[in-house]
Amino acid sequence: MIARKTLETAMYEAMRMAAVEMPPDIRAALVKALAEETNPMARKHLEVSLLNADLAHRGEGLVCADTGFPLFFVKAGANTHVEGGFETIRLAAEAATERATAECFLRPTMVDPLRRSNPGNNLGPGMPKIDLQFAGAGDGLEIVAAPKGGGSEIFGAFFRMLFPSDGLAGVKKFVMECIRDSCYAGKICPPALIGVGIGGTADLCMAMAKKAAVLRPVGRHNPDPLIAGLEAELLAASRRLGIGPMGSRGINAVIAINIDAAATHTAALPVAFNAQCLVGRRWAARIAADNTFTLTGEIE
Amino acid sequence: MKNVALPMSEKTARKLALGEIVSVSGLLFTGRSRFHIRAVEEGIYPPIDYERINCFFHVGPVMRKTDGGWEVVSCEPTSSIRFERYGADVVEKFRLRTLIGKTTMGPRTAAALKKEGGVYLSKIGLSGNILRGRIRKVHGVHFLDELGSAEATWIYEVEEFGPFFVAIAADGRNYFEELAADAAVAMADVEKQLGIAPDYAFTEVNAG
Repeated sequence: MIARKTLETAMYEAMRMAAVEMPPDIRAALVKALAEETNPMARKHLEVSLLNADLAHRGEGLVCADTGFPLFFVKAGANTHVEGGFETIRLAAEAATERATAECFLRPTMVDPLRRSNPGNNLGPGMPKIDLQFAGAGDGLEIVAAPKGGGSEIFGAFFRMLFPSDGLAGVKKFVMECIRDSCYAGKICPPALIGVGIGGTADLCMAMAKKAAVLRPVGRHNPDPLIAGLEAELLAASRRLGIGPMGSRGINAVIAINIDAAATHTAALPVAFNAQCLVGRRWAARIAADNTFTLTGEIE
Repeated sequence: MKNVALPMSEKTARKLALGEIVSVSGLLFTGRSRFHIRAVEEGIYPPIDYERINCFFHVGPVMRKTDGGWEVVSCEPTSSIRFERYGADVVEKFRLRTLIGKTTMGPRTAAALKKEGGVYLSKIGLSGNILRGRIRKVHGVHFLDELGSAEATWIYEVEEFGPFFVAIAADGRNYFEELAADAAVAMADVEKQLGIAPDYAFTEVNAG
């Protein structure tokens, strides 16, 4: 049985780490991009960003001051038991978010959408957002905390209901236009991680795009060769736009294009686009049934 | 890196080249959406000497209360293009010569800056912790209780605060407008390589 206190602590620690540590796969990708860029402005954008992340690592700030939307992605097994039932996950996420905000690891950013009032603790209807998924026969919990910045969410979220007659060309055109519009002025803080959802319902399509952008480790490709081929083709195309890091006219506007697909209606071809900024914030806590947990920047 | 004293003189602003990397030293004030909307729509704005504190930094910092005042935890410039509806009005109302933010601003703000002899500076990479280290003193805060720490107006004294690059020069040229035009040309080639016909049109589902 996983205790409420364990959950609260693990969720807080994962959120705190996400706020101060750039994940290792993201850092490696930025170092690789820096080695490739010859444009002085592109290099400067990347050098400054890496130095900024190093300062956060040394306790001198945060990976980014816009700690954005507090998101938790939770995976439970068939034999996972939580003290008080699964409702405890929401209560623990709220406690963890409130504590991380009080301790200045999260900026008080969540407001009422119409009144614009700010409770100062990042709590409100629907926030923190929790995605709960059941997978496998395990008895633990895997939690990924992802403070998702405003730039990538506000300027990097698009949905279009295409139709079968729009074809693969339509999917490619939609994705490339989204990349151009969100990257050219540094709006989503490129080099970005691009998540694309194809199929499903509108909400499933966008959820796939978000998870593909936020959760998938750099270097992992879709197991379906057709989709993996599309990922590679669009990534190569993004490098020829002349946009580069933060709109510097370099090569690397995009670190990765991660596509996931779901079955859809025979009349429809929904496509969703969601971006994650260059800091790719996410940190995992893995909780075992005996209430021990480990924290890691390596996502499975 | 060239360092520019704040308040920036018109002469200095007009000498800064598009794309030039600079830092600034002196006093600045912060704000974002709520500052712009309230100043223009409601006439509510902080009682600051805008002639002396003439640099508007678009940011929502993370602030920590200390015994003696405030500490900046991190301050990442925010996306200025969101404020374009009010950008020109704010530049004209407060006679601003320096805007600092992220992304870009549109043609109305660029025209207002050209008239005032001012520049828009955009951030380089993610730099909120580097910038934090260049803030010498937090002089005060306005509207904290009403707006919260991210939307409130903070007054910072900064030294060699940067790096930024000139994204809109005092002659009205816009770095990202020029990039967008070039990207449009590149886009046509890229689409061709992806097998997208030049006359491709998405399926239209509205009659007429």
